[in-house]
Amino acid sequence: MGQELAAFSTEISRLVAAAAASAAAVHARPRFSSSGVFWRPGVIVTAEHTVRREDDIRVTLPDGQTTAATLAGSDPGTDLAVLRVEGDAGTPVRRAERLPSAGNVALSVGRSENSGVNATLGIISAVSGEWRTWRGGHLDAYLRLDLTLYPGSSGGVVLNTDGEALGVASSALSRIAGVAIPASTVERVVEEILMRGHVARGYLGVGLQPVELPDHQKGLIVLSLEPGGPAARAGVLIGDIFVSLDGAAVSGTEDVQHALEKRRPGERVEAKIWRGGDGRTLAIEIGERPRRS
Amino acid sequence: MRGYGEISERLRRSTVQVRLPDGRGEGSGVVWDSSGVIVTNAHVARAPRAEVEFWDGRGAEAGVIARDARRDLAVLRVDSVGLEPCTPGDSSLVKAGEIAIAVGNPLGFAGAVSVGVIHATGALAGMGRQRWIRADVRLAPGNSGGPLANARGQVIGINTAIVNGLGVAAPSNAVADLLRGGAQPSLGVTLRPVHLGMQILAIEPGSVAEAASLKPGDVLLGSLDDLWDALDSGSDVLRLRFLRGDGRRVRETYARLQARAEAA
Repeated sequence: MGQELAAFSTEISRLVAAAAASAAAVHARPRFSSSGVFWRPGVIVTAEHTVRREDDIRVTLPDGQTTAATLAGSDPGTDLAVLRVEGDAGTPVRRAERLPSAGNVALSVGRSENSGVNATLGIISAVSGEWRTWRGGHLDAYLRLDLTLYPGSSGGVVLNTDGEALGVASSALSRIAGVAIPASTVERVVEEILMRGHVARGYLGVGLQPVELPDHQKGLIVLSLEPGGPAARAGVLIGDIFVSLDGAAVSGTEDVQHALEKRRPGERVEAKIWRGGDGRTLAIEIGERPRRS
Repeated sequence: MRGYGEISERLRRSTVQVRLPDGRGEGSGVVWDSSGVIVTNAHVARAPRAEVEFWDGRGAEAGVIARDARRDLAVLRVDSVGLEPCTPGDSSLVKAGEIAIAVGNPLGFAGAVSVGVIHATGALAGMGRQRWIRADVRLAPGNSGGPLANARGQVIGINTAIVNGLGVAAPSNAVADLLRGGAQPSLGVTLRPVHLGMQILAIEPGSVAEAASLKPGDVLLGSLDDLWDALDSGSDVLRLRFLRGDGRRVRETYARLQARAEAA
């Protein structure tokens, strides 16, 4: 390795020093702060699971000053929360345009109030396509991290060796490893939260259970129905069996979520259902899932 | 300029095992210069004398010539020749993200190496206002007292503790300060934070706290930072306010600080 090790070491510490201008510490839970990253001017993204209160949120900025921040909104599904701060104390990160490959070097950069900017180094250990988190959110890619995320690391930025943001670090989306929430997902969620304060999720107002039909097709039987909910208004009855939504077969509840994700609340989804041995089609106007308090 | 292999081999030759008499504890240490000065943690060197074993298997008897509990550093001296001292670095230049290499004797494995990067530098909650180096390297208890080096093989810290999985090291410049200026004044107590202040868990024999008639169980009022600021204020006598027993009344005692311990 010769001189390369010292050169590599210097290069990594330079990347950290540059990213420090985008790194914030977020104080929104007891004991440990978490990290955050300036995604746009005055807009800090952090990990939703580290935001345990809606008021009295403070952030430590790149210049070391601690100031108040307001919660613009959050999306538990993707584990992202968006904060706003006054002034121009942080430099937004540059986003990587391309996904990394497994084995690429990954650098996570965060901040804590006492010791300033902090870093851990490792690699991207796995990359795969679209991924639904156990919290119900939808990530554009699954980026598994082989680096240590410490108690204050979640919400920090994950960089490639060009200093571009691959995503935001989260320790809450996988039991086996830290995950980078991809930059394109962060961008989409930030856009939506700044527009409407939260990420709206489609909602039909039905409780469904998978069943097998006589012709070996599968479907979802309606076991419960929210009175006056989107499905009830469209004429769905308890005992109806959903076989497809917008032409795509539904055999599990995740298929319903997938179909609803392609449309926004207020739009209509075409549901093919079986009732008493007859098929029929109903147009359901998608509602918005009531938000957890 | 060297790679991991060469750097860790050099560090191994400067790393010693430190053992207290009667199996009262062990850890690692670093040969600081060729005159026989060895640096380790204060929490490793808890007795006046210790046994050290060098990388080549030679052993020696070492005297503890300085202990600084607040920096968690201790200086030992051996009468041995042919030692391979480390190259100390300037810890004020350490930056987050730099490559870090730790050598020590974790869990009895002599000369084990772990590598990673510097996580952060700065103060640590509950460990005073001084600067500590935190490194994303895997350490185990026997690493205490061993070297943390940079990508040039220079020793930038002494591995001291593991906090939330991170390695915490006393900076090499604190070693230089200790060698030059001697130990910082201290009460000689083990403290834990409680509601009103800090409770004394243990008192070292012959310490300032013992001379001031403090006892285990007493609660010193105020914060650790306040206490250390008072110790550093330069005055010879310290007024301490504390609670004892049912804590109904605030008591007072005066601690007479010792003249600075002479270091090598």
